[in-house]
Amino acid sequence: MTAAIPSIALVGNPNAGKSSLFNALTGARQKIANYPGVTVERKAGHASFADGRPISLIDLPGTYSLTPASLDEAVTRDVILGKQAGETRPDALIIVLDAANLDNHLCFALELLALGLPTVVALNMLDLATRDGLTLDTERLSKELGVPVVPTVAVRKRGLTELLAAVDGAIASHQPRAAVAAPANDASLHQRARAIARVATVDETPVRRWTQRVDNVVLHPIGGLIILVALMFVMFQAVFSWATPFADALEGVIGVVQTWVVGTFPDNFLRGLVVEGLLAGVGAVVVFLPQILILFLFILLLEASGYMTRAAFLMDGLMGKVGLSGRGFIPLLSSFACAVPGIMATRSIPDEKDRLTTILIAPLMTCSARMPVYTLIIGAFIPAQNVGGTPIGLQGLVLFGLFISGIVGALLVAFVLRRSVTKGNATGFMMEMPRYQWPRLNDIAIALWQRAWIFLRRAGTIIAATTVVLWLLLTFPQAPAGQSQVEYSAGGRIASALEVVVKPIGFNHDIALALIPAMAAREVAVSAMATANAIDAGDDEDAMAEALGDRIAGRWSIATALAFLAWFVFAPQCISTIAITKRETNGWKWPMFMVGYLFLLAYAAAGITYWTAVAFGLG
Amino acid sequence: MTALLDKSPLGVAVRIARIDWTAMSAEEGRRLREFGLMEGCEITPHHRGSIFSRDPLALTIGRMKVIIRSSQAAAIEVEPA
Repeated sequence: MTAAIPSIALVGNPNAGKSSLFNALTGARQKIANYPGVTVERKAGHASFADGRPISLIDLPGTYSLTPASLDEAVTRDVILGKQAGETRPDALIIVLDAANLDNHLCFALELLALGLPTVVALNMLDLATRDGLTLDTERLSKELGVPVVPTVAVRKRGLTELLAAVDGAIASHQPRAAVAAPANDASLHQRARAIARVATVDETPVRRWTQRVDNVVLHPIGGLIILVALMFVMFQAVFSWATPFADALEGVIGVVQTWVVGTFPDNFLRGLVVEGLLAGVGAVVVFLPQILILFLFILLLEASGYMTRAAFLMDGLMGKVGLSGRGFIPLLSSFACAVPGIMATRSIPDEKDRLTTILIAPLMTCSARMPVYTLIIGAFIPAQNVGGTPIGLQGLVLFGLFISGIVGALLVAFVLRRSVTKGNATGFMMEMPRYQWPRLNDIAIALWQRAWIFLRRAGTIIAATTVVLWLLLTFPQAPAGQSQVEYSAGGRIASALEVVVKPIGFNHDIALALIPAMAAREVAVSAMATANAIDAGDDEDAMAEALGDRIAGRWSIATALAFLAWFVFAPQCISTIAITKRETNGWKWPMFMVGYLFLLAYAAAGITYWTAVAFGLG
Repeated sequence: MTALLDKSPLGVAVRIARIDWTAMSAEEGRRLREFGLMEGCEITPHHRGSIFSRDPLALTIGRMKVIIRSSQAAAIEVEPA
């Protein structure tokens, strides 16, 4: 048989466990891209039937019905109806149902069944339903729906073989039939769904006591907020303390490689490029991989456990005051890792003005690319001691303060924007709260690996390229003996011109030099300083060994260091963020606005910090 | 005797008597129905906002827990279940 590879779509309500099922079916064999023309993530992967015939699977965004409320829900509808450009209509559907939430999830299932495609129902998360005291009759449900129903526990890989066998059977035995009309309106659809759920339920005890008990604590008007702040505080402390041994190890490896290259190859142009440009520059950024992964780990755990929606609930009151909604909290929290996925996550905000405001303030969240800059400066200028006999580290506290500055800044900006450029009605906030779940190691590991890969690819491309260009600019023309190479070079002269502009806010030549290449990405500021440092050190081995942090600690005043930190709370120095904003807002108007207002704020914040610090005698 | 959902006590099950669909956008109304919030169904309000504000409202419907804004809750008339 030479038929094309059948394509099968996973579809269902949000929180039905679709992604876990998709991960379980495809393993690591998946590809994340975007649907052409829209910025909705397309997750596709491969699997095979028991006899080895390949199939392709796509994981569609979760939605409640075929009438879309947001961009990603529209994609789900268009793919299923075969209207999505560049996507063939799926050959079969796997409808994923949360076994513990049948009366609601069956509504969408009935709508999908009416389309007449070969369909199999995956009765997912059956273990959680059992934990909740539900006993279901799978055969009865199958009879009512007229399609095979396979019980699955995606996270334990249970029922997967049976599921694929049922899909195979459904495609083979499918009789093309005209789509039947779904029940005419919402009310009758719900009635039918509830009736089916009732006959399929053998036994049930009253609802989700466990989740309710946890929610009573976690959603407490005051206690809940304290827990939220404590969680975030622990997260930022962990980023600092847990990552250190890994970062030191990475730094050691890079140092060994540098020494080896210097000792093995003759001193020439290429060796300089590799040692001072690539290894010093890219290496300075790569050592922050452990911190970025720890940050992502926390965010992924909060998301997978179901806590994130609770955080959104708690924050909605505060965010509502500045004209946003709790829905914006999730994209904003993701922006702590990186503004690019954060801005993409705003797609789930239905209100256009609300969404635009969230996009415009997302770069104020302290993304992981700032971590190299913050850690370097904090490590160099803030003593590694605890605050007055408590176990709270001073360095972690300063980092926490920088995060808070970003958040407060973002809220103030949103407040102003919602009353001026993005004026509009207060928006709604309607969301389903998922049950609490124990996060699955496998799902977290896959997601973490994807993030690590994106970061390393960035370090290997955009950051490596910028660093090499910078190295060339700093190496030529060659300075005559007795003059500083970094200041004499082309790059040094450009920096001197910029220094005139940033001198009033306390910035020196080092910083002016780092700011230009940092337009590509914030962490390049660190690699730029590392490269300049390496060139300046030249063949002087003692200077070479001196860590970048120790070196700037000796050259900058505390006021300058603090001003530099304040600058990076606001400065929009990230090409990827600007590009994604252009794509998400369909034009240059909003990214330009964003860059403009953020640079103004950065300049003002750095200036105020510097002048205040100087007034306190820290200049 | 009916009351409005945004004022009804937490933890007490109530039945939806009437929903004023004109008080919200068609979009909001549709999402409410997708959650299963319709005349005749039984719900229990559980949590209301934080110290920042009395908004939003978390309620259980069947085995699902959903969040709505109190402006929407104010359009929902409920009676003792």
